[in-house]
Amino acid sequence: MGISDVIPVPVAIDDEIEKWTIFGQPVAEVWFTTTEKIHQIIEMGPIKNIFNWGRKNSVYFLMQPMGCCGVEMFVFGAAPYDSDRFGCIPRNTPRQTDVMIMSGYITRKYLPVFKNLWEEMPEPKWCIAIGECAISGGPFYDSYNIIQNTADYFPIDVFIPGCPPRPEQFLEGLINLQEKIKQRKDKRDY
Amino acid sequence: MTNASEVLSSIQSAFPGAVLDSRVESDRRLWATIDSKKILDVCKHLTNKLNFDHYSGSAGVDWIARNEMEVVEIMASHGAHKVVAMLKVKTPRENPSVKSLANLYWNANWYEREIWEMFGINFEGHPGLYPLLLSDQLIGSWPWRKDFKGYPDLTTGERAVAITTPEGYTEYRFPPTPAEVEAGAVVAERPKYPTFREREEREIKSDSEMIMHLGPQHAMVPGPFLLDVLVEGERVKKGFLDVGYIHKGIEKIMENRTWLQGIVYTDRMCYVASLSNNECYCGAVEKILGLEVPERAQYIRVILEELSRIQSHLIGTGEFLTLVAGVGYAPWQYMIIDRERIISLIESVTGARLTHTFVRFGGVRNDLPDDFAEKCKSTLPYIKSRINEFIELFAQDAIYQKRMENVGVLSAEDAKRVGIAGPALRASGVAYDMRVEDPILVYPDLDFKVIVGTKGDCADRVDCRLREILESIYIIEQCLDRIPAGPIKPEAKIPKKVPAGEAYYRVEDPRGEMGMYVISDGGDKPYRVKVRGPFYATLQTLPPLLEGVYIADVVAIAGSMDGCPSEADR
Repeated sequence: MGISDVIPVPVAIDDEIEKWTIFGQPVAEVWFTTTEKIHQIIEMGPIKNIFNWGRKNSVYFLMQPMGCCGVEMFVFGAAPYDSDRFGCIPRNTPRQTDVMIMSGYITRKYLPVFKNLWEEMPEPKWCIAIGECAISGGPFYDSYNIIQNTADYFPIDVFIPGCPPRPEQFLEGLINLQEKIKQRKDKRDY
Repeated sequence: MTNASEVLSSIQSAFPGAVLDSRVESDRRLWATIDSKKILDVCKHLTNKLNFDHYSGSAGVDWIARNEMEVVEIMASHGAHKVVAMLKVKTPRENPSVKSLANLYWNANWYEREIWEMFGINFEGHPGLYPLLLSDQLIGSWPWRKDFKGYPDLTTGERAVAITTPEGYTEYRFPPTPAEVEAGAVVAERPKYPTFREREEREIKSDSEMIMHLGPQHAMVPGPFLLDVLVEGERVKKGFLDVGYIHKGIEKIMENRTWLQGIVYTDRMCYVASLSNNECYCGAVEKILGLEVPERAQYIRVILEELSRIQSHLIGTGEFLTLVAGVGYAPWQYMIIDRERIISLIESVTGARLTHTFVRFGGVRNDLPDDFAEKCKSTLPYIKSRINEFIELFAQDAIYQKRMENVGVLSAEDAKRVGIAGPALRASGVAYDMRVEDPILVYPDLDFKVIVGTKGDCADRVDCRLREILESIYIIEQCLDRIPAGPIKPEAKIPKKVPAGEAYYRVEDPRGEMGMYVISDGGDKPYRVKVRGPFYATLQTLPPLLEGVYIADVVAIAGSMDGCPSEADR
């Protein structure tokens, strides 16, 4: 049962408009339709990639400096390297972000906090591990307080090696992530 | 002018038999082993009679071969004289316990808490020994002792047990390793750090009060730390500080690396100004080795450290401005754009943007590129004009002045007492600069002013920082004129093994007094490296400074201190 069954279609539709079609369907049906219908229509045409297109061009990241890479993240988000060009804007709260940039060492004390931040982010979300420390512990591989295998805790999409990586490498990692988002299959198979 | 041997004879005459062992290294350094029963009296004597009004920190050392532990108290003076007294107190390894200085010096509190949680040395009379840097799971395993078994610990991920909290979040617990259990390192009853729920229950007395959490994640501080403020209405009643969210255990790691590899870790200690960290460590090792640095290398080091100071102050000021008026990040962008020019200058020499590993024992890694002086001459006037513009802008802006004047005022007496250093201390009117107090390299030959403020409020701290940039530019210009040709490394090869000995070396970090206490036992690795970080001291003063201010001023005061929590946590 669609919404057009509940709310009657306005009678004042021209005869002309009734003849119009979009993707082989009558326009009137498209106009007064349900979410399911919209998804059906999106699947029919080139518009079907619109969600991933939108997601990939507005990857807001959480400003979350944790180490040396955090300082490079400052610069990456600021004017000289200007991540805005790729729709990547620093946000201050996890509730407004799509990408968690893991920018340094995760200690035993910080891990629960970091996990909370990750869980506060709305879906769909992605995670980038930047620098050796976030990937494998880096120079602190034998520290008593550093978590070495962060991939056990977080579903990391892109790894950017370096100690710390340059802001250009941040940009490259971001572009790789955008490629990944573009090819992403949703529950609805977009 | 007091010198080290006079200080020693004064202690010896006042307390016969209190000095068990002593060594006068130079006019400025005194090493003395004090009878543990008399340490409080000796410290009182030093403070009251000999102007040792700056308690600079303390270090713990585990002498496992001699079956004893040592606490080294570092005492200095705010300009009255230039002696640094290193007073050692010994205690047996079983049930180690020494007298606490926390009632004598306010800032001894954190240093003693750190030594307690890392070495298990009890401090008699300490107001509250509870964890500072470590998480609850590691308390009781005393990680900095030489016989710590859980190190290196490569199994944390496999051992993690996920627990879902009542709020629906996931928390992780790490059960002890078999090695830890076998060593008996796991204590059944550990003192726990209060969770925020417990803190709320304990501290909130009436309905009009609440606790606000700032951090640990914060967008404009280059590292996490948690600041809880108990507020009543618009006023802050009390501040609580949790640090250690990025405690990496650098001091312990450096004990397991060769001397040269240690430089890499000093970079990562304070990544905003890593060159002065390099300098501090290398200087201490040079002191033990007795190395002379060639003059050209000294000039190169000074140039780079001053450049590093400029970029650190720029990022610090940018952070502060974003915290107080972060609309659209505009001031932040200006600072970062200028900072990039300095970074590219440093990069042309060291090849790295942040972590340089450039300073070497007895010299530097490589020479300046040919066009470095020209590049400097084109960049520095630009930076100078920008800084002058910023100073003028802040001085003229009525809104900024109204917002920042008399906010977070730290009087000169208080600033001395709480042991902070750097621009935050100098803004209060105390001209205390390591480049003058404990001159290293070619600083004595150079002409520069120590910038001091008058009131010690937020506006003053930022103003001091900006005017220090101008002073640094002046220093670099002098260095570029005077830099001689010559070698940049000592001719003799640096030995892999450093002879047994100890040294304490201080440099002026952008955030203040940074000191490193390095001990060698004659091996190819350091026996102990203790870092006295400037921001560690500054962070400690934050909670009392916040009492009674408006909520909106909390970030202003915290931001004006120019934080680098990584160097506080190490």
